Amino acid sequence: MKHIMRALATPVIASLLAIIIGGIIAAAIGYNPLQVYGALISGAFGNAANIGYTLAIATPLILIGLGIAISFRAGLFNIGAEGQYWVSVMAATWVGYHFTGLPGWLHVILCLVVAMLVGGLWAGIIPGLAKAYRGAHEVITTMMMSYTGILLCKYMIEDGPMRKPGYIPESYPIPQNTWLPTLIPQSQLTIGIVIAIVAVVVVWFVLFHTTLGFQLRVVGSNPRAARYAGIRVPLYTVLALGISGVLSGLAGGVQLLAIDHRLAEGFNTGYGFTGIVVALLARNNPFGVIVAAVFFAALSTGGQNMQQVTNIPASLTDVLTGLIIFFVAAERIVPQVIQWYKRWTSRASTSISEEGPKPA
Amino acid sequence: MRIQMVASAAAVLTFGALLTGCGTAANNDTNNAGNTTGAAPKSNFKVGLVTDTGGLNDHGFNFLSNQGLQQAVKQLGVQGAVVQSQSANDYVPNLQRFARQGYNVVIAVGFLMDDAVKQVAPQYPNTKFLIIDDPIQGIPNVTSAIFNTEQCGYLVGAMAGLLEKQGKLPGLNSKNMLGVVGGQAIPPVTSYIAGFQQGVAKTDPGATVEVKFANSFSDQALGSQIAQQEINDGADILFQVAGGTGVGVINAAKSKHVYAIGVDADQAYLAPDTILTSAVKGVDTSTFDVIKQAVNHQWKSGIQYFDLKNNGVGLGTVNPKVPQDVQKQVDQLAQQIKNGTITVSPNMK
Repeated sequence: MKHIMRALATPVIASLLAIIIGGIIAAAIGYNPLQVYGALISGAFGNAANIGYTLAIATPLILIGLGIAISFRAGLFNIGAEGQYWVSVMAATWVGYHFTGLPGWLHVILCLVVAMLVGGLWAGIIPGLAKAYRGAHEVITTMMMSYTGILLCKYMIEDGPMRKPGYIPESYPIPQNTWLPTLIPQSQLTIGIVIAIVAVVVVWFVLFHTTLGFQLRVVGSNPRAARYAGIRVPLYTVLALGISGVLSGLAGGVQLLAIDHRLAEGFNTGYGFTGIVVALLARNNPFGVIVAAVFFAALSTGGQNMQQVTNIPASLTDVLTGLIIFFVAAERIVPQVIQWYKRWTSRASTSISEEGPKPA
Repeated sequence: MRIQMVASAAAVLTFGALLTGCGTAANNDTNNAGNTTGAAPKSNFKVGLVTDTGGLNDHGFNFLSNQGLQQAVKQLGVQGAVVQSQSANDYVPNLQRFARQGYNVVIAVGFLMDDAVKQVAPQYPNTKFLIIDDPIQGIPNVTSAIFNTEQCGYLVGAMAGLLEKQGKLPGLNSKNMLGVVGGQAIPPVTSYIAGFQQGVAKTDPGATVEVKFANSFSDQALGSQIAQQEINDGADILFQVAGGTGVGVINAAKSKHVYAIGVDADQAYLAPDTILTSAVKGVDTSTFDVIKQAVNHQWKSGIQYFDLKNNGVGLGTVNPKVPQDVQKQVDQLAQQIKNGTITVSPNMK
């Protein structure tokens, strides 16, 4: 219990501080913060449809955040999830509109598997091998691979072979029997969320209840000790980045089958980067990733409603996100603040209650 | 111990939030002041506008569409609300949310929302949808505003051709060459360029028009780079149809002391000496017109064309350096397009 509270303290306080400063900013530019946050919360969770929007956005964030959390656990920073997400969508789209003769369920599985393999390849094989055997820093290589991937996808739909002739640059659509079934009517929430939650449970089990997970974490906390203990560090480097990419790829596959149904500019949502913040806020805990992803998804959908109801610019939600990242990253501020508070209350309480033993 | 501490810290912080909230509850009335003195009486007619990811400060159609909405708020007394989409995944929820809240008209700005409108409109048959720049037919509660931008493209092309032929404008060379920078080879862009080519061919048949595409609507540096190439090739009047990329084109023209032509909005303010005129797309007028139709129960579904005749397209501010006789000839051509003597094709050569 104590240990859970301690883990929760930093992210919760960081979020609260950000929300308070956001409220002050909203007030300073002439809006009522209570009204603004009211619209934000009702926009995110106010009715079934809004909950549907929020969870629909949370789905890719959970999967990508989960992948990034795994690489962090192994001491690696996979910053290129955005590109892994794009290329896996490209591959899944191609499989989607080429093999139209398959039964729906098999086709869905094929698309998801291809997406995962391609995502894993883009993150694990090239940057992973380069890191493991040549020491090329994964922050550089995953980022570069990300740009390459995104530009390749854009080429494919703008001038390349996947472009559907017509008005808008986009690929051919995938057949309707591969679309994931919707959970709430007229919303974008599909069984993709179930896939994401299953992935979280699997990752949690692998990380904390298998030898593979243990060795991954050992490599992350001290690669030299890991090598001394006979763990094959290069193998785990490739594996960690690869699994990370597999999950980004799964996110892309699910997003394609659930919402977009084709490769288009619409994939330009920055989920690959928000996923980094999700992993940070969750402190790389698989279940924390669910909470953090829902939180950022709620900021996004609630932010749109907030704009609609109160006319406040939606960029306030960007400000909030930025503040949260700041406070999470500068996590040492939080214990410092707690310490000041402690000193202040202990001074206050000693001056009041001079007799009697102090409560422990 | 630790739990207590965290809990009390949280309590203090929450209390702080409440205090901040109370302190400013009084000044939120100013936000809804769309309807000021002299305006039409406020009606219950509600209009929601969803921008694409370009946002309201795009110097282009999102901005203009909102101008049209604000005009409707002032003159027709409708209630207006705007939401700027942060990402493409916001389009469907934003359209649905307005529809579910009982908005009478929902405006989707831009062809990027094509899929979203096709998906949402049939779900809410009692809400009317307007989509800008994208042809949707066969859904009774959807109207599409399409602009015959080849016509204003033709006029700016004709003006550029006349100026090249005269060669009197300071800074023009003798190569008789014009440059075009397009954002992407998609119909809303190519129709402008098609008109431009035909306009130049009409007034200055010997001129060459160099057309290049940036494949981006947001890369100013790239726009500037492409413009430099065209200027080095000898182009001295540049027509940009490239959104944010086009701002780079205008800047390059300015620094090389040649001329540029603006697009969509009246862009003279961006570089008053450099910009000869702008090929203007009346997204504001069309938005206003369609809202008015809906208010007056004259809603038309399907495609509505906006052209020179109904002020849907036209010319922006004309640079005083452009001689009177040139302006007069351009006006005559505009007349001829309006009365059908000249027809301009929207397809590029």
